[in-house]
Amino acid sequence: MRKFTKEMVDSYADKLLIGLTEEENKLVLDEFDIIDKNMELITKIPNISEVPPMTHTLDDFTYELREDEYEESINIDDALANSDSTEGRQIKVPNVVEVSKK
Amino acid sequence: MMDKSIKELHELLINNKVSSDDLVKEALAKSHTLQEKCNAFVTILDDAKGVSVNDNLLSGIPYGIKDNYSTKGILTTGSSNTLKDYVPFFTATAVKNLEKCGAVPVNKTALDEFGMGGTGTTCHTGNVLNPWNQKRMCGGSSSGSACAVSAGVYPYALGSDTGDSIRKPAAYCGIVGYKPTYGMISRYGLFPFASSLDHCGVLTRRVEDAAIVVDAMKGKDKKDLTSFDSSNIHLLDSLDGNVSGKKLFYIKEIVDFANYPNIDDTLKKHLDNYFKTLDNLKSLGVTIDSVSIDKTLLQAIPSVYVCLSCAEATSNMSNLTGIIFGPRGKGDNVMEIIKDHRTKGFSTLIKRRFVIGSYILQKENQEKYFVNAQRVRRLIVDKMKELFKEYDGLILPVGTGPAPYIDGSVDHVNNSDTSILEEHLQIGNFGGFPSITIPNGFVDNLPVGINITGNCYDDANILNIAYALEGTMNYKGQIAKEGTNE
Repeated sequence: MRKFTKEMVDSYADKLLIGLTEEENKLVLDEFDIIDKNMELITKIPNISEVPPMTHTLDDFTYELREDEYEESINIDDALANSDSTEGRQIKVPNVVEVSKK
Repeated sequence: MMDKSIKELHELLINNKVSSDDLVKEALAKSHTLQEKCNAFVTILDDAKGVSVNDNLLSGIPYGIKDNYSTKGILTTGSSNTLKDYVPFFTATAVKNLEKCGAVPVNKTALDEFGMGGTGTTCHTGNVLNPWNQKRMCGGSSSGSACAVSAGVYPYALGSDTGDSIRKPAAYCGIVGYKPTYGMISRYGLFPFASSLDHCGVLTRRVEDAAIVVDAMKGKDKKDLTSFDSSNIHLLDSLDGNVSGKKLFYIKEIVDFANYPNIDDTLKKHLDNYFKTLDNLKSLGVTIDSVSIDKTLLQAIPSVYVCLSCAEATSNMSNLTGIIFGPRGKGDNVMEIIKDHRTKGFSTLIKRRFVIGSYILQKENQEKYFVNAQRVRRLIVDKMKELFKEYDGLILPVGTGPAPYIDGSVDHVNNSDTSILEEHLQIGNFGGFPSITIPNGFVDNLPVGINITGNCYDDANILNIAYALEGTMNYKGQIAKEGTNE
């Protein structure tokens, strides 16, 4: 029996606010068992849970705090130029807070 | 003119044998011709003009920019419909550094959408075709850059590399592809794909040109906290071709014929060709050893890459909403608008990667897949660092042969015996290692590549070995010739 279902694939996509067509869902679903089986290889390495996860590419990486320096902030017109819907100095979207219907 | 090296072009420019404007015009004309044939570009900058030439080797010389580097006032799409009209208001640091040298960008090159692919077939502007044979792919994701450099549009173009996105297309197009140590070039302004694996780099036709360009691109940048001060590293000055006494290794579980009992003719020729080239290095006094690494660890490489890159990408791409930039989706509320934008904007193959990333990041899978992938990454990197104490570098063939056909080349999950050979360049991204591919002749009349990867910060040594090897072969500076292979 398949471990994954069409509904599971849709749910994973929906959590990222992505919709899938029937064909796209099938493409992912058809390969998902192989993908999952391949990823299982990771868990087969002996004593893997004892290894510290590598989260930075360079092991000598250090954070450096720099001085606070005043810099010009982004020009508002430039920042708005790539949005399809603006009003004055703001980006326009539908109401975020829903108005209760009485 | 554009078949020449950077040094040759510079000589001509400073001696007034040619003007920067002449070079730019030639590069633009060649861009249009190549666009008709191979579809390499998102944008051709027809307004580009020559500049006054100074002592800098790059001044006045045209080049190409992969379309995931932000360029102020110039369309920058990441080859995605989600950003099809996006014009940044700032320029990536790497591009700015070249700007300071007087380098002249003439086009923005097509890529697999946001760098997430290895075929050059997921660009929103259509497939990028290989200039050696237009039925073949360029590979990806730096597809357009590899195509244009190989076709002789200019001596170099910028690339980015998260799994092998500079080094694989370089091999498929018969050119040089170099990604330096992680953090040597600032990633500020590069569209992020998987931040812990993303590298900036360059595609050229000569190792020397790669050294010149990265010398100019690199440097610590306060806008990228992972960048480091590399002012003590002088790549061009380090190229002397003297490699006697150097030690390299290969991994026998990847290249020994014994691993492939059902080997096909192309792979056999590819491996034969690779071993023949090792003899060239031995004749220069380089020792090359066969080293064995636990196959379970090697087999996990592609899976570690899938886990980390898809999970990181899922997070990085969350700003693509169509609200602040990108075409506005339709819907009655913000969530519907975002979902419409993302559903229509992303191509099928990138959606597949997101679904995998979402699955990996489910609460019940995070430890099993994501954190374990980070652990295996450490084991692989530690093993390589242990070997780099004894050896100058790892030398392996790139992929399983020349560029595959485009038809039927959907970016499938690789589940075959050759998956490690196909994907081993990802080791370079796991460890942030400097890694360079150079042309290694031809298999079935199509170019193939060989790769050298070394320890972090040892870029000068790795480039010098590649430079010496390049000098033993006849592929330096080669321009794509349309082949007869079908």
